[in-house]
Amino acid sequence: MTVRAPLTTDRPHEPLTGSGDWHGAPTTTQIGILTARSMRALVLNRRLLIIGLLESLVMLVAFGQVFSGLAYAPGFPAGVRYVDFLLPALLLTTTLQSGIQAGIGVTDDAQSGILDRLRSMPVWPGSILIARSLAGLARGALRLAVLLALARVLFGYDPAGGARGVLAAAGLSLALSWSLGWLFIALACWIDQTEALHATAGLVMFPLMYASNAFVPVGGLPGWLRRIARYNPVSHGIDSARDLCLTGTTGPGVLNAVLAGLLIAVLAAAAAVRGLSRAR
Amino acid sequence: MTAPAAPSIEVRGVTKRFGRVTALDDVDLTVPKGAVHGLLGHNGAGKSTLVGILATLLRPTGGSVRVAGLDVLERPAQVRRRIAVTGQQTTLDLTMSGRDNLYMTARLLGAGRRAARARTGRLLEAFELTAAADRPARAYSGGMRRRLDLAMTLVRRSEVVFLDEPGTGLDPASRLATWDMVRRLTATGTTVVLTTQHLEEADRLADAVTVLADGRVVATGSPEELKRRIGRRSATVHLATAADTLTADHALAGAGLHPECDHPRRALTVTLNRDRDLTAVVRALDAAAIEPTRLTLAEPGLDQVYLALTGHRRTEAP
Repeated sequence: MTVRAPLTTDRPHEPLTGSGDWHGAPTTTQIGILTARSMRALVLNRRLLIIGLLESLVMLVAFGQVFSGLAYAPGFPAGVRYVDFLLPALLLTTTLQSGIQAGIGVTDDAQSGILDRLRSMPVWPGSILIARSLAGLARGALRLAVLLALARVLFGYDPAGGARGVLAAAGLSLALSWSLGWLFIALACWIDQTEALHATAGLVMFPLMYASNAFVPVGGLPGWLRRIARYNPVSHGIDSARDLCLTGTTGPGVLNAVLAGLLIAVLAAAAAVRGLSRAR
Repeated sequence: MTAPAAPSIEVRGVTKRFGRVTALDDVDLTVPKGAVHGLLGHNGAGKSTLVGILATLLRPTGGSVRVAGLDVLERPAQVRRRIAVTGQQTTLDLTMSGRDNLYMTARLLGAGRRAARARTGRLLEAFELTAAADRPARAYSGGMRRRLDLAMTLVRRSEVVFLDEPGTGLDPASRLATWDMVRRLTATGTTVVLTTQHLEEADRLADAVTVLADGRVVATGSPEELKRRIGRRSATVHLATAADTLTADHALAGAGLHPECDHPRRALTVTLNRDRDLTAVVRALDAAAIEPTRLTLAEPGLDQVYLALTGHRRTEAP
């Protein structure tokens, strides 16, 4: 029988383990390394990538066609095609999906066991989460690019706000969804299970997107839902994105959306780091 | 006179509850620096829970824990700078290659790019993973994943290394190689805590063992000490004919020695509960005019100690 000997005996002088001086990389290096890891998974997992891109196509076609009749409903802005009304909402919906994926990345890491290894190493828990959120942001940007290209090709999307307005709306959507994505990361850190996170994320997404002005004007909602929609940061974000796409400018609502998003991000990030750091 | 060195691990009165289930109950443990300490116990005995607490991954419900001189509850981040863990389950990024897993670990620990590359190459070679280095870990066999897991634990020199059932999934050759690895680790002053269900592993490697049963410590000491204290020597008498075997069986039973008879092999085994029992065996055979072909003495094994202490508890997963 051949006996396998770790650190082969041809170098018996060599220490078995590496340097004892490695006590942890600086936080920025940790974030860089872990973001690269998450991005690699994003690119290598072709199935997930293709599904993500198809999802943009399906949403665009389904919502664009199924609800196109809403453009003739009372209260709908005059002279605006439904696809022009819809697309700013889809920008946010699409990028929010990437926020959920960031949370799922955390639960996947918990289930594969790599999270336990990272947690037993001198790695700041925040680095793991920031890396996941940055990878989610990159995924969101990629999906937005595909969505806008498809909208242009399939529906001739060319709003009055011009390319600059659309890009500004896309940037705002990315910023807001990155902020809201921390909600899903926080949930992931406390839930630990991918299946449970999927179910919970659905519960969070539903009111965020449907109790808002995403798919119909707020005026068309029942009274109680209208009140919720007016406070929903998603409504403020979509309002601003619509303004940017349709006119190239926006009002003070953008500040409300960004501030609300920032507040949610700070609170959720704190909860996420606390959830991940806790010794179970 | 110099004061004795502080222990590497000190556990005092540790309790861990998961809801209504008590996983650990008032556990004490002391491990000196540079020692190998074995944790033995049936599935669900609390071994992995204890390792999880020592490795800062679990929070005890009560009691105090110090690792490398630091309180794990007050200074977990500092403890993590001094430890390395191989869990019971492999802890790899399965989407990444073996090389990338090792490189990432080295870089996160603080190695520069060049040092991380060099260390990665050395560990791949040492754990015989070079040929598969660039394949995703998902495509590795169970044994290869385990070897990669162990390699990731050895990326840097740590004061304390926790190996939770490191032999799981390894072939006999790899298991022997792991034993060699543990010996070489302790030679550099590293303290190793090893949980195992392979009693031979603990017997060969551990300076001391703690036996856990249902979350409680039922015995602690060196394997030799436990064998002396709890194990029993036995004598086996081999006989020439079936008739001799029957006669010897009656003779030994008549002397109150309770032999276990193995008729096909024509052998009788007597547990030597007292020092004088061996003399009694010889006298009883002599009185019955039986001349054995062979008389062998067996020292107690750790398996015997383990079974005596844990009361033959089931070893399958709960």
